[in-house]
Amino acid sequence: MPAISVDTFFACSLMVLLVLSAMACASKFLYPHISNAVDVNIAERYESVSRHLLLNDGTPSNWGQNRQTTPETFGLAKTGSNNPYELDIDKVSRLNSENLYSMSYAQIFTALEMSDVSFRIEVEPVFEVAVNQTAAFEGANETSYEFEILTEKQGFSVQADLKFYVVAENYLETSHDCVSNGRTHVNITLPNDVNKPALLVVFARSTSNARIISFNAYTFASNSTELNPKGTFLRLSPLNYNLNASLLYLGINLSDVYALSFNYFSTLTQNANNSQSVTYDIPRFLDPSPTLIVVTGWNSTSFFTEWTAYPQIPIQTGVSSASSTVLSHVFAYTYLVTIDLAIYKCTVWLGGPRE
Amino acid sequence: MKSKNGGQIRIIEAFLAVLIVFSSFAISANLTVTQTTRNHDNLASIGLQTLVQLDSDGSLGKYIDDEDWSTLRNSINLVLPAGTAFNLTVYNGQMQQINTEVVSNGGFSSQDITFVEYVCASQGSNFHCYVIHLYLGVAA
Repeated sequence: MPAISVDTFFACSLMVLLVLSAMACASKFLYPHISNAVDVNIAERYESVSRHLLLNDGTPSNWGQNRQTTPETFGLAKTGSNNPYELDIDKVSRLNSENLYSMSYAQIFTALEMSDVSFRIEVEPVFEVAVNQTAAFEGANETSYEFEILTEKQGFSVQADLKFYVVAENYLETSHDCVSNGRTHVNITLPNDVNKPALLVVFARSTSNARIISFNAYTFASNSTELNPKGTFLRLSPLNYNLNASLLYLGINLSDVYALSFNYFSTLTQNANNSQSVTYDIPRFLDPSPTLIVVTGWNSTSFFTEWTAYPQIPIQTGVSSASSTVLSHVFAYTYLVTIDLAIYKCTVWLGGPRE
Repeated sequence: MKSKNGGQIRIIEAFLAVLIVFSSFAISANLTVTQTTRNHDNLASIGLQTLVQLDSDGSLGKYIDDEDWSTLRNSINLVLPAGTAFNLTVYNGQMQQINTEVVSNGGFSSQDITFVEYVCASQGSNFHCYVIHLYLGVAA
């Protein structure tokens, strides 16, 4: 075989080999970058959608206040607000499934007018308050309860001013403010003749900014009393500064109803009732704080306390994390939002169907 | 002579082809810049929202008027997501730095730092205008 044929064969083989390996390498190296480029486009689109949800008030603009209204287009912004990311207290409350007038996922999905986008919306305080009962000392006339209060943000301690309310039958006690460095112990003493379970309501306001506030409530009683979970006797639905308390059993009688915020509290008066529900007006406190509404009453022979927050947070609506297996390109966008002067955290998750 | 060197020229062609293919890899590496820009946008958006929210009731201007740098640091630290490091500098209208303390929650873990500029007017009895530079990154 002549030398030129060997050189040509060698060169051709080398070219074919290198082109094939180059193709393989190119596809391997370029795929993630091409995929990223697609992701970037989707991420930009989803970010625009998430902003649209929080910066637009929807149609009709007062769909939050009217319990029977289902919006044609979805948006959570407060109508006429000058501040960006200020949300409407009623629109947010209607995202909570505990509310009698809450919107279903299908209703929000339709109003969103994007058939290829699945979503999840979470609204919660910027930091958390945890309440744990650590001890109870029963005396002849009164019982002392000891609680541990934790104010944390993702495990990090948050310095906060604390305010407590204790609610039982015909009993409302407020505390002086106290400062917590993240962990505080509190003693509550209740006369033994006060009917329980009682409710300890805790407000925690950041020492660095009065509009960053969180809350929690803890039901407690003597060791022998069985505690029922929240929502056993009543379904509380605050909307348009009006509370609807739906009775879940026959024979329920409501006693005192309180509206509590960090700086103010008030006893609510009934304005309408029927066999299934009772309604109350909620006062508008000029306070950068959520309003906690506590309802006390009797179910036959047992006393109960039920509570809810207005705005009705925390909220987790939309597709659950279990559904993530059927979604692709899921992106989360976190925003700081204002609802009635207080600052909260809102996370919008958006994703598309798996291809 | 011409036909004798034909095979060698094809080898040179092969190497030229390799050169072209691998140079395309070098160009494609620039595509990753887009992703980095995206991460910067998210962090900048969160930083800007933080300043806007603190300024919406005049708190931001009041912290600066009062030179309450520790409260300003704690407020920003509380509302930013965990794991985010920041460094904030406040300038007056003449771009002279006025924060006498470092307003920061720690060091950055990488060179990937994003920057937000925000102009704030205090709501006190005397009008002051401040320019705020906020640097954000992943905490070390």
